[in-house]
Amino acid sequence: MALKIDYVVRETGRNLRRNLTLTVASVLTVAVSLSLLGVALLLQKGVANATDRWEDGVEFIIFLQPDISTAQEDRIEELLVDQQPIRVERYRFVSQEEAFDEFRNELFAGQDEITDLVTPDILPPSFRVVPTELDADQVEVLASSFEGEPGVRKVIRATEEIKKLEQATDFVRWIVLVAGVVLLGTGLLLILNTIRMAMFARRREIEVMKLVGATNWFILVPFMLEGTIAGIVGAGLGTGAVYGANRGFERWLADDDVLAILRSFAVEQGEVWGIGLLLLVLGAAVGAIGSAIAAYRFLDV
Amino acid sequence: MIKLENVTKVYKGEVLALHEASCDIQKGEFVFLVGPSGSGKSTFLRLLNKEEDPDKGKIFVAGKDIGSLSRWRVPYLRRNIGSIFQDFKLLPNKTVSQNVAFALECIGRPKHVVKTQVPAILELVGLQKKMHNLPHELSGGEQQRVSIARAFVNRPLILLADEPTGNLDPATSVGIMRLLDRINRTGTTVVMATHDRGIVDTMRRRVVELDGGQIVRDQARGVYA
Repeated sequence: MALKIDYVVRETGRNLRRNLTLTVASVLTVAVSLSLLGVALLLQKGVANATDRWEDGVEFIIFLQPDISTAQEDRIEELLVDQQPIRVERYRFVSQEEAFDEFRNELFAGQDEITDLVTPDILPPSFRVVPTELDADQVEVLASSFEGEPGVRKVIRATEEIKKLEQATDFVRWIVLVAGVVLLGTGLLLILNTIRMAMFARRREIEVMKLVGATNWFILVPFMLEGTIAGIVGAGLGTGAVYGANRGFERWLADDDVLAILRSFAVEQGEVWGIGLLLLVLGAAVGAIGSAIAAYRFLDV
Repeated sequence: MIKLENVTKVYKGEVLALHEASCDIQKGEFVFLVGPSGSGKSTFLRLLNKEEDPDKGKIFVAGKDIGSLSRWRVPYLRRNIGSIFQDFKLLPNKTVSQNVAFALECIGRPKHVVKTQVPAILELVGLQKKMHNLPHELSGGEQQRVSIARAFVNRPLILLADEPTGNLDPATSVGIMRLLDRINRTGTTVVMATHDRGIVDTMRRRVVELDGGQIVRDQARGVYA
């Protein structure tokens, strides 16, 4: 038996109106929790964009001359291989094309005035090195051993600033993430309670429905839809907040030259929409799960 | 139509509601269930539309063993069984016709069926003039007629009545019984639990007497005691 659309719409709308205060509470809780989660994700993406080169334990980068000969390049790679695994745990070669991709899509994403000036052939290829020993002195010895090699342009080390930045944002991200998850749980419980109240308010109707042979789906769908709508509306508000926060951040960066160094934190529009979609799915899931639990426990099907 | 085979129902492990009850009710019969409070009459009715499950024994409704019925098939069983109660169970915020229409809407009947069936059944129970009233604007007897209309609008095979006249005065009760008798004459099997001696003795239909969960008497054209 197909459910009648007009019936479902009418019943769901009536439930939403009847439970206005509780519904608003659940919607806002979901909105706040999802915007926190969204901000945590934005922060993670921003930091990843800014520090991409230093991920996975890379401690120093050997930049080569753009016009390095193959023999020189092989010689440096040989030096790295020779020291494995005692001093070098692993390394990665980044070609000029990869360097260009990174430059355009991560370091200076969305800043066409800079990226338009650059072509792959002027960027240096590089080796990104993860040392076995993380002791600062030993890393320094290893890094400087490459400095005199022919074809090497420059060796740069992960600075204390980058490490601290990663640690600090990691910490903030965790706090925001935990707060977001806890609030999301609260939102789920609130939706569960809202639906339970709605079902309790209509227990006579439900009793009659069961008596005359309404299927469980017929009884449940309006309630589940109510919870899901609350979740989606909450997620919509949360997504809006995240979008607004990102726009605000971008504008703030654009207005201030001193903060230009932070521009690499900017997150692409596509990534923001990705986060928004994830939040909407989460909101809908929380709403549907909360109301399904309530319905299942209360209806005793 | 209805068959119980050695049915036992125990509540909370000690209260014996039915004990080894066996009973066979044919299509179109009118059966009174009598006996003191707590003798198992309501349990008997609740077992038939699977609001309860027996602890032992088998129950057949319309030829089907309802013990083997899966949970999601139960609504379809109930569409063949109308139920009425002492307290009517009408929805207070719906009018008479909305209350009756609700039963059809709940099982997905199309609008045009609802539009023709509801006035027809309200005419049968004699309430066509009050179809836009709310339940609290009706007398007890009228409310029970609405609940009968709701139970019967889908033309079920079986009508279960749990003390339908329990809240009504004798004159009103006679009207309700006339209505149930008419419904019975259309071929619908009626099982009615009652304490109303006058009704049972006047109607002279089959009487099944329960005491302490056991069937102590099963008499065609019987009397209350």
